[in-house]
Amino acid sequence: MRRRPNVLAGFGSLVWLFVVGLPLYTMLAATLQSRSDYAASGPLGLPRHLTLQNYLDDLQGGFGQYFLNTVIVTVSVVAVVLLVVPPLSYAIVRSRGRTTDLVFRLFLLGLAIPAQAVIVPMFYVISKAGLYDNLIGVILPTAAFSLPVCTLVLTGVMRDITPELYEAMAMDGAPPWRVFVQLVLPLSKGGLSTITVFSALQAWNGFLFPLVLTQSDETKVITLGLYDFQTQYGINVPGLLAAVVLSMIPILLVYLFARRALVQGLMGVGGK
Amino acid sequence: MTTTLATGAVTRRRPASRAGTAVTRPGFAWALPATVFFVLFAIVPLVLVAVLSFTRWNGLGSPEFAGFDNWNRLFDDPVMVKSLWLSLLLTLLGVAVQTPISILLGVWAAGHQRNRAVLSAIYFVPLLLSATAVSVLWRALLDPNFGIPAEAGWLFGDGNLFGSQSGAIGVLVVVGAWQFTPFHTLIYQGAARAVPPVLYQAAAIDGAGTVRQFFHITLPQLRNAIITSVILMVVGGLTTFDTVLILTQGGPGTDTTISAYYMYQKAFKGFDFGTGSAVALLLVLVATVISLAVVRLSGYDRMRSTSEGL
Amino acid sequence: MRSHTRLSRSLAAGSAAVVLGITLTACGSGSGSSGDSGSGEIHVLVYGDATNKVEKQIVDTFNKTSKVKAVLDTIPGADYQQKLQTIINTKQAPDIFFNWGGGSIKPFVDAGLLMPLDDMIAKDPGLKANFLSSVFDTAVVDGKAYGVPMRGTQPVLLFSNTKVLADAGVAAPKTFDELLAAVQTLKSKGVTPIALGGGDQWPTLMWFEYLYDRVAGPDLFKKALGGDKAAWASEDSKKALGMLKQLIDAGAFGTNFDSVKFTDGGSPALLARGKAAFELMGSWEYSTQQDANPDFTKSSLGYGSFPTVTGGKGDPKNVVGNTNNFYSVLKKTKHPEAVAEFLKLQYSDEFVQGQLAIGNLPTTSNTPKYLSSAANPAYSAFQFDLVKAAPSFQLSWDQAYPPAAITPIHQAVQQFFNGQIDENGFIKAMQALPNS
Repeated sequence: MRRRPNVLAGFGSLVWLFVVGLPLYTMLAATLQSRSDYAASGPLGLPRHLTLQNYLDDLQGGFGQYFLNTVIVTVSVVAVVLLVVPPLSYAIVRSRGRTTDLVFRLFLLGLAIPAQAVIVPMFYVISKAGLYDNLIGVILPTAAFSLPVCTLVLTGVMRDITPELYEAMAMDGAPPWRVFVQLVLPLSKGGLSTITVFSALQAWNGFLFPLVLTQSDETKVITLGLYDFQTQYGINVPGLLAAVVLSMIPILLVYLFARRALVQGLMGVGGK
Repeated sequence: MTTTLATGAVTRRRPASRAGTAVTRPGFAWALPATVFFVLFAIVPLVLVAVLSFTRWNGLGSPEFAGFDNWNRLFDDPVMVKSLWLSLLLTLLGVAVQTPISILLGVWAAGHQRNRAVLSAIYFVPLLLSATAVSVLWRALLDPNFGIPAEAGWLFGDGNLFGSQSGAIGVLVVVGAWQFTPFHTLIYQGAARAVPPVLYQAAAIDGAGTVRQFFHITLPQLRNAIITSVILMVVGGLTTFDTVLILTQGGPGTDTTISAYYMYQKAFKGFDFGTGSAVALLLVLVATVISLAVVRLSGYDRMRSTSEGL
Repeated sequence: MRSHTRLSRSLAAGSAAVVLGITLTACGSGSGSSGDSGSGEIHVLVYGDATNKVEKQIVDTFNKTSKVKAVLDTIPGADYQQKLQTIINTKQAPDIFFNWGGGSIKPFVDAGLLMPLDDMIAKDPGLKANFLSSVFDTAVVDGKAYGVPMRGTQPVLLFSNTKVLADAGVAAPKTFDELLAAVQTLKSKGVTPIALGGGDQWPTLMWFEYLYDRVAGPDLFKKALGGDKAAWASEDSKKALGMLKQLIDAGAFGTNFDSVKFTDGGSPALLARGKAAFELMGSWEYSTQQDANPDFTKSSLGYGSFPTVTGGKGDPKNVVGNTNNFYSVLKKTKHPEAVAEFLKLQYSDEFVQGQLAIGNLPTTSNTPKYLSSAANPAYSAFQFDLVKAAPSFQLSWDQAYPPAAITPIHQAVQQFFNGQIDENGFIKAMQALPNS
């Protein structure tokens, strides 16, 4: 259908573009200048001498390894979440047992646990399990702390599947796993994309768990690598921001390519 | 299956369907892997935190039992009480600022025009930045001598944003909104696209304008999305601390020391893990009560009954 | 409908395959890296930042000749102390670790985790004799040596923009009164007299450290640190606070210093661009300016010692700041001999040259030999002589006290500067600090 163009909305969206864009401009401009040029032009100035040196320095500074580690952590966290959350949400939405009710409450409680609150005991749990300084030791807690939000989102989506559809499946005598695979999963595509994005971002930007649970260079992730641009008393701002831009590129690409699917998926039940 | 049938279910309550059809339901086994996993890596550590809150421990020797000492001191601690209020205030402000913006942006972005797609992609970017990057950027932008305040003295005065409580809280709210609005926008964008076009067509025939359509059709249809988004904002708001850590360090003085940051200060700067754990537990309790309240009030938990009753 | 089903099925299958594959890779890459100290390794844990390359180089040198291999681990800067405290009493603890001496290691000494180095020093007196004693003493706790200096000394100096001073007709102030007068003159010219990165909090603290030392001498703080709460309420303490208040009220720091940070380049830029005339900062100001504002550094970056206070009890030659960073040793290390050999490298010629090359100033007795090779020989020589001649080198308060005191100290200095607490409020806050 056609709606007449909304001037107000267009204006609002431009204002927001400015709000979002100004810091991003500052960031890009800073990364394209030498440290002294940036200091001279300030955060709002126009860059005078453009250079890619910051990016080259970053790429030569061992960022490849950190990058790979972050990718491993992110993909694994997403995989774990996608493996355990859909069955859980299905059980919460469709099972009538008291236990699953309790489980749901447990996960609601989990929403409120800040990761930094449990970091000390977490260190002992991981270290007892022999997973200290091992990427698995980062993956497991990161995934665990993504579960509550993902479960909340996915149960919300699954609840919207109409009872008629279950009934139809039931008339065919379908067992739960077939209902799950043929009905629930396809109709939860939106929720699945949301939790994928959410857990991927959690893992990609995760700082606290890698900080406390890893130690050596071989297990360093990008967020920790960003500290290579700081000294005890100062920060190389352009170098740091160039590293940030580099670390954003892959996930931005994934977003751009998956955007259609993501937004389509987020349309909730049924789709078109 | 028609679009109307499927999407109409998003919000419309339907009467319980006729009983009698035997539907096989998934058992607890389906929830088992996630539950075991979660108990191991979140609940067990949380229980250990609860135990620690009754001890004196600096992380070096072994914890000594201290009874209710930590708790008693906390309830007399003015900073603790202040921090809880600050947490609630920041959370409320976060919800109040982010919800309207992300609903409007989400609904706007739900349109299929090409320029909207491009802009939405740009809007998404802040979500990709780590807390370190966000703080370095905003600190530079808000520098009173070289950043925005220097260019807009009529608005910012001497630009001492981080030197007063209201200024520092304002910064935290704005930066938080800048960073997290994209995520909530995505939620609303998806939900807005799922609103059945027939509803708008019907309204258009009745002569309703864009604004009326927004309030009478879009907003009610977004109910589920709003609830989900608000719950996420509330728990996110109560448990965030890295923005505070990097932007204000709880200052000036203790003016932005929210509970999550206070806990971090106690545990990891003061190495008083007993008190830190007590603060953590208190925060978990408060956040749980609030999120349960939101769930109750919004009817989120009753929603299961809409699809139940087969 | 059908296409959806197929899609999610392949999605599920795909993710299962991925998780298996990834888990295996992660196992493979993880298991090789975590060596324990029993396998002929010593782990050296340092503050991870842009200056790690000398530490890497020294580890490589050590490994060329030693059978026991040293492994360098780094912890990203800002959270160093937090992580260290978490692991130091576990089997993940290192053998040797970076610290700031003083209060940063006191809790570990109290918990019996650290090895006194006196036996090592008895075997190789050079481990002590080759370092400036005012620096070495910072890591002496309860009469025993627990650390060997390992980076550079960082005295706090009064930096200035000489061009701004010349334009305003102000000479570098030698006394506090001259500083006050300079503040008035500079203000009338529309310049912020003193740049202060109050957002970081520790730059504010430096003003307290110097004025207390000049007014009362180093003993007041020593007493206070030892638990004598009356020291904070003494006349000298009040006098120092009064002088600070005088500076603040005179507008010496402007009004928006709490929104400025040193760490992100805010306050150095004020100085470099002539918007401010002075900045009290650690010696690293020089390398910071050189990286960010090379032209200014060459033409008009001035530096000098802190002004004297007429009638003050402190020796005008006293300095405050970070005496040095230190390597301390865990008692439970399995290779004490290797550790001793490693520590000896901290006064080697290679170490000194490496540190000087990256702008650090080591505090070994062989340092003067190589000063001419430093990035800026005159600046390095000035500092070295200053530190060598200082009767007392007061470690920064936030590092002299144990870590639990850092937050309350930072809060108190910030609140005193922005007027949230007065003299009595500050005294009370300091009296409430934990001593150990």
